[in-house]
Amino acid sequence: MASFEIVAEAGEARRGQLQINDRTLETPHLFPVINFYGGGNEGALFGGGVHRTVKEFLAHDNEVTGGKEYSDLFRGVMTSIASLTDYGIREKKLEWYLGNEIREWECFSDYDGMIFADSGGYKILEQGGGLEGEDFEKEIDQDKALDMQLDLGPDIVVNLDHPIHPDDEFEERLEKMEQTAANAARFAERREEVEGACYLTVHGYYDAMLERSFDLVEAELSEPIPEAFDGIALGSLVPRKDNVEVLVEAVSDCKHVMQQRGYDDLPLHVFGISGKAMPLLVAVGADSFDSASYLHQAINGKYSVSLFDYVPIDEADFDACDCRVCNDDFHRARMRNEMDDLYQKDILGSVAAHNLAIQQRELRQFRQLIAEGDQDQVAGYLEEAAKDQKGFRKFVYQLINERMNPYFEETDTTYA
Amino acid sequence: MHKTPQVNEVNEFIEIASDFEDPLEVIREALSNSYDAKATQVDIKIEQDDEGRNTLIIEDDGHGMDEDNLSSFFDLGNSNKDDAIGYKGHGTKIYYKSDKIQVETVKDGTQIESVMDQPWAKLNNRELPTYSVDRRDVDEPSRTRIEVHGFQAGQGFDPQQLTYNKIEHYIRWKTIGGSTAWHFSNDFHAMEINVELSPTIDDTRQPIETDNRLKFPAENVDPDGEFVAEAMCKHYPPRELTVSLDDGRELTIEIVGMVGGKEARNKLPTYGKHSAQFGIWLAKDHIKVERYNDAIGADNEFFHFFFIANCQELELSANREKIRNKSGDVYQAITDELDRYMTKVCQETWYRDYIERRKLEDKKRSIQSQESSLEERLERTRGADGLSPSNPAEVIALLERYSANGAPESLQIADFQMNDEVNAILDTANGYEHASVQVKLSDFFEEETPLSNIDRFVCWKLGDLDALTRIERTSYLGEPIRFDFQKGEIQYGSEEPELIPVLELDGKVT
Ligand SMILES: [Zn+2]
Repeated sequence: MASFEIVAEAGEARRGQLQINDRTLETPHLFPVINFYGGGNEGALFGGGVHRTVKEFLAHDNEVTGGKEYSDLFRGVMTSIASLTDYGIREKKLEWYLGNEIREWECFSDYDGMIFADSGGYKILEQGGGLEGEDFEKEIDQDKALDMQLDLGPDIVVNLDHPIHPDDEFEERLEKMEQTAANAARFAERREEVEGACYLTVHGYYDAMLERSFDLVEAELSEPIPEAFDGIALGSLVPRKDNVEVLVEAVSDCKHVMQQRGYDDLPLHVFGISGKAMPLLVAVGADSFDSASYLHQAINGKYSVSLFDYVPIDEADFDACDCRVCNDDFHRARMRNEMDDLYQKDILGSVAAHNLAIQQRELRQFRQLIAEGDQDQVAGYLEEAAKDQKGFRKFVYQLINERMNPYFEETDTTYA
Repeated sequence: MHKTPQVNEVNEFIEIASDFEDPLEVIREALSNSYDAKATQVDIKIEQDDEGRNTLIIEDDGHGMDEDNLSSFFDLGNSNKDDAIGYKGHGTKIYYKSDKIQVETVKDGTQIESVMDQPWAKLNNRELPTYSVDRRDVDEPSRTRIEVHGFQAGQGFDPQQLTYNKIEHYIRWKTIGGSTAWHFSNDFHAMEINVELSPTIDDTRQPIETDNRLKFPAENVDPDGEFVAEAMCKHYPPRELTVSLDDGRELTIEIVGMVGGKEARNKLPTYGKHSAQFGIWLAKDHIKVERYNDAIGADNEFFHFFFIANCQELELSANREKIRNKSGDVYQAITDELDRYMTKVCQETWYRDYIERRKLEDKKRSIQSQESSLEERLERTRGADGLSPSNPAEVIALLERYSANGAPESLQIADFQMNDEVNAILDTANGYEHASVQVKLSDFFEEETPLSNIDRFVCWKLGDLDALTRIERTSYLGEPIRFDFQKGEIQYGSEEPELIPVLELDGKVT
């Protein structure tokens, strides 16, 4: 049902194919976060402001796409059961939403990418273990979470986790890890109900924490991890998303722990991270990511010029972008707010699509480089990408120095 | 009507000659000119006669001067040496601050002898000095000999300030004698440099014999031993960095350097305050001009580094001490590229290990000194034959022992702030009390600390009873005070006197 094949490696970076049922995903890959249910009805793609416009891109709505094809931005998307209650939903409507799988709705019937259904652990934890709607509060346990995930008709599901926080005391962290492990065990028991891939969440910022996280899961499981799960998802990194050093250490250590335990054939997903850290995390072995940053940046009026930089939308130079959104007069006019009757969501939706295109383009280029299996090229790509990013590039240079091509391998003793 | 702005030539000469401040700059000029003349050997002599007049003699085997070259040597502002180190030949005007300039040069079989008399006196008389030119054919190789008599540069050229040591460091640090060009060029033009001072100036050692290659202390990348970081040293081999400017031009930066500890750095011939000379140097003609330590970033301390980054696109002030084109995109591009390069160095595994090792060794040193002070304390304690607290914290430890061993009342320390006047909160049968814990009670009074907030004293010994009695006989902070050593209390104040109990632990704790 699910397989992961590594096609090429360059150092610790790898290029792979994730096959789930009849869908294939090229990795490394970024799953943009999509909110499929934004409080509206099917005809309005279930509403949701800018989210709706993004869905219109995904569903090839000609009025929004301008007749162009944007499916390559959405080969695999991430959605969370926690987002179901983002718009103060009533219980009846929730049931209605969950009555059909996403692809069973007419409007999404053409969508052919992969759907990664997150358990929403972070939000559920924040809300004290449940989900709140307009007229209901639901306690969510592993079983309920999985029921809801499966109702969406996903390709990838993941156990309900209890994300840790950098400020957690040891005891609190331990308790969360134990709960996550118990959920993982329960999740594994229902493995047969899942037609797609099952990912296991682990948490930790460095090797000792991650080892504990894996130990706890192994202790709860009745079978080895690679038999129960098709992939590993590393969580809890969002609060540290701006600290590249911490991210690199976490992903790299997770990878090493997986190697030591013989899980390195499993794909490694990194929850909630995208942007400038992505190439570095790929370089240390991450296979996929998910993020809503493309959208949040658009909502905040930011237009990406690279993985590193963005400018206010009204300062954007569309000529300098090679993405299809920016090369389409229709979207240019939208982003410039030059059309009649434009809603904010129409303007920002196009910007979000552009932002996503930038991130997907970078990853696509990086995939191609890794496919050549040449670590020098990977190092060269990283160096070029980071060369004008003061503060950030030191992490890139450190990585290259320590793990790829040392800049000063041997000193030349012919002088001095 | 159009008018042409006039130049006062005399003033120009005076100003340019005065632009050089360090008397040693005359040596820099001489070496640069000889280098530009493709000399392989240059000898500099500084002599002083009985009346204290100085003569500089500079001789080289370079290609010599013809009459045009001689004009450039004496004239203002028209150097025909395009890639010359000396800035438009202005450097030689420093010789004008003298009583006589004498040039003898041979080029392509023609010898020219030239003399300029009293240049400085004439300039100061508002008169342009002239020079004589005598030519004759000779059958000898090219060379140049310049004599500058009665030389007095800058704030006065005082040869007594010159020593071989100072000149040698100056040559190595500030002139072509400290060049890094040899790292980069296959057809490097080597030059031997000799400097001789007359014995009246410095007779402490042999003349200087050196060359124009700046050398780093030997590499020592992974020494054995407990404290080695100071001696560690790594070379970063010559690299050519190329940067493209927006207009398509390409710049080349030639960089070479080292990272090292103090011992290694001490082997470098720095000029000026030693510790302030490290970091990242921007250079032109492979001679250091200005530092750009920003390239190292705030995470790293500049003094671990000694790098020379040469770029011929840098433009220098007339005295070569400063970069002129700092506001342009060339400088920006150079510094950007240096930032990147130094980030690579700073993120290198060896460098990070070196810094780690330094930290570790510093800690080990502090542990060692702690150990020896503990050792001393142990000795003192042994010698003191029993208990002898040396600070209030130790008195507290004794108070605990006292309370635990069946004292009439139990006193516990609830809180303690070492440096506060009321340094302890006591937990007593009557609740919390403000207390002052002292090794010797008399020390407290010596400090003239107010008593108003103190409910009780705890001390090891009362201390100097005579000193306390003396206070009793006068007054304390203007109020009467009585020490009752028998009852263990202090009575303080004139109207309703306060009673402050004193607990002396000596003799009550074993
Ligand atoms: Zn674009």
